[in-house]
Amino acid sequence: MSKNIFFKILLVFVCFLSFSYAQKDPLSSPMWNDVIKMFLKNEAYVIDKNIIIKVPSFADNALQVPIYVDASYYKKAQRLLIFADLNAIIPLLDMKLSGLLPVISLNMKIAQGTPLRAAIKDKNGLWHISSAEIKSFGGGCSVSSEASLLEISQDLFGKYKIKTFNINNRKRIKLSIYHPMDTGLFVGNPEFFINKVTIKADDKIKAQIRTYASVSENPRLIFEDKDSESIYEIILEDTDGNIFKISTKDQK
Amino acid sequence: MKIFLILIITIFTFNLNANEFDFNLKAVKIAKDTYMFEGKEEYFSIQNGGDISNTYFIIAKDSILVIDSGSSYYYGLQMIKEIRKISNKKIKYLINTHHHPDHFLGNQAFKNSIILANKYTKEYIEKNGNEYIVALINITQYALSNTKAVAPTKVLKDSYIDLINHKLKILNLSGHTKKDTVIYDENTKTLFVSDLVFNNRAAATPHANIKEWIKTLVKLKKIPYKVLASGHGKISYTKEPINQMISYLLYLDKRLKDSALKGLSIFEILVLKKPKEFLGISMINEEFERSIINLYPKYEDKIK
Repeated sequence: MSKNIFFKILLVFVCFLSFSYAQKDPLSSPMWNDVIKMFLKNEAYVIDKNIIIKVPSFADNALQVPIYVDASYYKKAQRLLIFADLNAIIPLLDMKLSGLLPVISLNMKIAQGTPLRAAIKDKNGLWHISSAEIKSFGGGCSVSSEASLLEISQDLFGKYKIKTFNINNRKRIKLSIYHPMDTGLFVGNPEFFINKVTIKADDKIKAQIRTYASVSENPRLIFEDKDSESIYEIILEDTDGNIFKISTKDQK
Repeated sequence: MKIFLILIITIFTFNLNANEFDFNLKAVKIAKDTYMFEGKEEYFSIQNGGDISNTYFIIAKDSILVIDSGSSYYYGLQMIKEIRKISNKKIKYLINTHHHPDHFLGNQAFKNSIILANKYTKEYIEKNGNEYIVALINITQYALSNTKAVAPTKVLKDSYIDLINHKLKILNLSGHTKKDTVIYDENTKTLFVSDLVFNNRAAATPHANIKEWIKTLVKLKKIPYKVLASGHGKISYTKEPINQMISYLLYLDKRLKDSALKGLSIFEILVLKKPKEFLGISMINEEFERSIINLYPKYEDKIK
């Protein structure tokens, strides 16, 4: 009998050790270990509250869920990753920074309620992860884009709007472009989305972003820069090889 | 073994039948011959079964007219059951004021009635009615079981419906959706404004055109009504709910326009302080957030 109790105590102790060894997910997602391995490989990480991450209190329209991430607490960060554990398309974007602030706002589509993660690689190579829970009844990823349903894409496709603002001592670039961003998960509509965004100023690359089909149809993006360059050029490329070159010279 | 299985299946089937959601409807008299089923000032949930909007009925000389049918088949059936406690006259007409699911998904229960709606609403329900069920079944769950979208059967034009002792003026206006039907009972001076007025409950705006909506409200204010019967919120006997709607919509419009000019993001708008006069409105935070998310892109696109 006493032997039994001893084993139980030992078991609890071992469990406790193994728990404290790996960083625990504050949202207790079943996918935590898998997504960490998938995105951060085996690199070191800490859970952090210095990344601002905002989601709606409830996402009614699963096709257009606004999110906002500000990791500018980390000066000279190298990379910003955003992903959603339980989404049909887990990654949202992978941003390589070379001057631009690790700040982004965009709309995403979700298949169901999911944790959203922002991971920032600081200048020393350590990852910092922050999370928020998106509550929703879902349905956004397996739905065909509105454009391909209405067949209005021909006229509007590639049309854009760009505008810069000075806000909180930063330069803010707002960009929206008509693109179906089809996931390929809806039968009959092949994958067709913007997968690369490059931001340049004076021919110097300030950020390179890999984007995924989890970004909403007709993307709306916000970027921020600490310096105030006079002219920015943003180059978007899609999976069909279309290239859209947009300059802040053409503000409209 | 087989018998055992059959027994289990039977028990389950019985259980499902016994599971009809009880909306606990109670008809409240609001004017002569006129009654209301008051909905909860909440968003759709399992607990409320989707009972979030007001429905009405008028018992005229030889017939009954119903305004809106709630958000499910069982809600519609339970409405009829309650109406029958008061009158056995024929339920001749049902009017759907607009195409939102909490106003027409009970249509299925009104098999022997003429279901009227304006042309836009009728066509919208014919085309998209069942999509609402797909979206709502996750939210209200079993309250929605066995519900099918039944479209209105006849187009309702700007005209009169003459129920002998109740002459009803029909006005098809716009704002909350592309076409919302307002019914004015000239005998009791009751104005059924549908969701064009949310009485001290924050407005839902997923299909709204704010500018049109304000114009419509200014028009409605001129009607010499005595009772204001809205789609959400309590009955009113004053012009106050219309005034509040106008000032809330003006505020929403200005907030969106100013924010777009400054280049704010959605979350920067959401943390701004709201004027004191709106803080007592029920569901203000959740509906304001929904409205900003839905409407802001249109304002961003418009700025030069």
